[in-house]
Amino acid sequence: MTEIKRSHAETIQRSLSKRYRAEKRFRAYGMMAIALGLLCVALLFVDIIGKGHKAFLETSIQVDVTYDAEVLGITDLQNKQQVALADFQGLVKKALQKKFPDVSKRKEKRELFSLISSGAGYELRERLLRHPELMGQTETLWLIADDDVDTYYKSIGSKGGAFTGRTSELRQGWIDQLEQEGAIKLGFNTTFFTSGDSREPEQAGIWGAAMGSLFTLVVTLTLSFPIGVSAAVYLEEFAPKNRWTDLIEVNINNLAAVPSIIFGLLGLAIFINFFQVPRSVPLVGGLVLTLMTLPTIIISSRAAIKAVPPSIREAAIGVGASPMQVVLHHVLPLAMPGMLTGAIIGMAQALGETAPLLMIGMVAFIVDIPGGFTDPATVLPVQIFLWADSPERAFIEKTSAAIMVLLAFLIMMNTLAVVLRKKLERRW
Amino acid sequence: MVSKLVTDTATMLEKKATAKQTGPDAMDYPEQAIGEPFVKNPKMSMRNVDVFYGDKQAIYNVNVDIGQNEVIAMIGPSGCGKSTFLRSINRMNDTVESCRVHGELSLDGEDIYAAKMDPVALRARVGMVFQKPNPFPKSIYDNVSYGPRLHGLASRRAELDEIVENSLRRAGLWEEVKDRLDQPGTGLSGGQQQRLCIARAIAISPEVILMDEPCSALDPIATAKIEELIAELSENYTIAIVTHSMQQAARVSRRTAYFHLGHLVEVNDTEKVFTAPEHALTEAYITGRFG
Repeated sequence: MTEIKRSHAETIQRSLSKRYRAEKRFRAYGMMAIALGLLCVALLFVDIIGKGHKAFLETSIQVDVTYDAEVLGITDLQNKQQVALADFQGLVKKALQKKFPDVSKRKEKRELFSLISSGAGYELRERLLRHPELMGQTETLWLIADDDVDTYYKSIGSKGGAFTGRTSELRQGWIDQLEQEGAIKLGFNTTFFTSGDSREPEQAGIWGAAMGSLFTLVVTLTLSFPIGVSAAVYLEEFAPKNRWTDLIEVNINNLAAVPSIIFGLLGLAIFINFFQVPRSVPLVGGLVLTLMTLPTIIISSRAAIKAVPPSIREAAIGVGASPMQVVLHHVLPLAMPGMLTGAIIGMAQALGETAPLLMIGMVAFIVDIPGGFTDPATVLPVQIFLWADSPERAFIEKTSAAIMVLLAFLIMMNTLAVVLRKKLERRW
Repeated sequence: MVSKLVTDTATMLEKKATAKQTGPDAMDYPEQAIGEPFVKNPKMSMRNVDVFYGDKQAIYNVNVDIGQNEVIAMIGPSGCGKSTFLRSINRMNDTVESCRVHGELSLDGEDIYAAKMDPVALRARVGMVFQKPNPFPKSIYDNVSYGPRLHGLASRRAELDEIVENSLRRAGLWEEVKDRLDQPGTGLSGGQQQRLCIARAIAISPEVILMDEPCSALDPIATAKIEELIAELSENYTIAIVTHSMQQAARVSRRTAYFHLGHLVEVNDTEKVFTAPEHALTEAYITGRFG
């Protein structure tokens, strides 16, 4: 008897070490999986930040600009037509010629004038209209450089030499000369955060897309949250459990798995073609994204409602609360953190969505910053898509920078979801 | 997926039901409960009550009265339908979709299941205390004042304060919580929580209080307090209590009803049930041969 017992103990002892080894292996697999995930995230961030961080700086060139009425062809600043037709870029050209007086050939002149962005003229016009007393005066200004100059200037001193690209040796020489004079510098790129899209990389900014995203999300949130929560409350609390509600439930779950571009097609067919909602506007984008996020919100809201303990419902019914009072006084407040989390995750999903918006025309090239729900607009992920598609080299860093802005928004929204849940969650 | 789960549960319930009906316990039940199920001037009376969950019958032809200001205990082995019966009295079973109640149940002669009887109004008259203490995740004050506010029983804050204080006093909780009325009710101990739930139930001045195993989640000391409280409350309220503990039934109730697999077997004065049970099943349960 004792023999048998001892051999049992030995067998167990031997199998123990085996079990412990298996457990260690199992843990190692898990850690490897997490490490792999973290590595991918780290790679992503290093790559994007490495490429994109330079987009937050812009090159500008110092020149002495004379607001010469003759060059502009303006006699009266109040005359809008004159101002509109005036050649402000001519002032820039004059200023550059003054800086490099020995450039005389036509071809060389063209090269010289393209040192400074073609958008600099608009800047001068704005400035003169704000300060009419500058007319005839000369002032020293920093003007945005052309994107080729910008790319070249930023790449000076980098590994593998400077990127010359379309910057000819002649222009490189002028840039070196400016550098020695201290008339060229890198500064914070406010243009990137304040302007809309542009064909010229140095004038392109994220603000138009950000406003488009904002308006679209406002539409999405105001529609999908109330509709989603109402649907979830009805299905969980009031709907009879029968074949129909089963069918509805299955279909809601199916909708959550439908490829988002299908929702875009639906939006195109119904909202734009049938209801004649204008295309390319945040309103129609928001409607389409509402359809897309509804299943997410309904499913998470139902889960949150289900998680409310039945004892609370019984307690409320027991003191004579009507079904609606049970829902309004007890179920909704307790389920709210879960619902909000679901809604914010749905919004984050909507913020990052591109495909359905391509179908409803939000992929258009839009320079103006949208001011409302019915102004043509684009959104952040679509802007990234557009820039990634552009041939100019300067758009590479803009693309990465836009991705950084988008990621920052997403991280902010997810953090908000966590904070809200932590703050509103109540124990029972 | 979900529908499969539903059918699975349904078949499981069916099997359980058939097993029960053909099992060794399927003895001859008395056609009418033995003893004295009826009283003069009953507060509530139940006649020919059958309760079904879907196809399964949970309560078979129960006839019993609950007298004014009496404590009646309902005992019986697990699954005997005593809780189901209790929940039929204030129509809590309305929330269970598959549940159907047949027969005549009346409160002061009014039919509880009549079309013109509002279940919300009924529950204001027939309060309930549950098995697990279930205070709302709100302050102690809000827990007690919720019912009165809901039914508009107090027009001014001072009146509400008075109702809250009185209810907590009657539930024997006032001295313990009077300095922390704004703290969450869920922060109290189990026994205190249950007394808070009793305070919440009596705050709307019900005529009848139903208690579904109110002490099963509590320790002996908390249980003793609740039992004391039941004795005090019986001066003003009619109380029906479902309990697993025969000692508790013996301690708190004036009459005891013994349920067995959905049948009401015996109703008698508590003393008589525990000393001289008339039916063989009652005796078997009392003496601990099953349960």
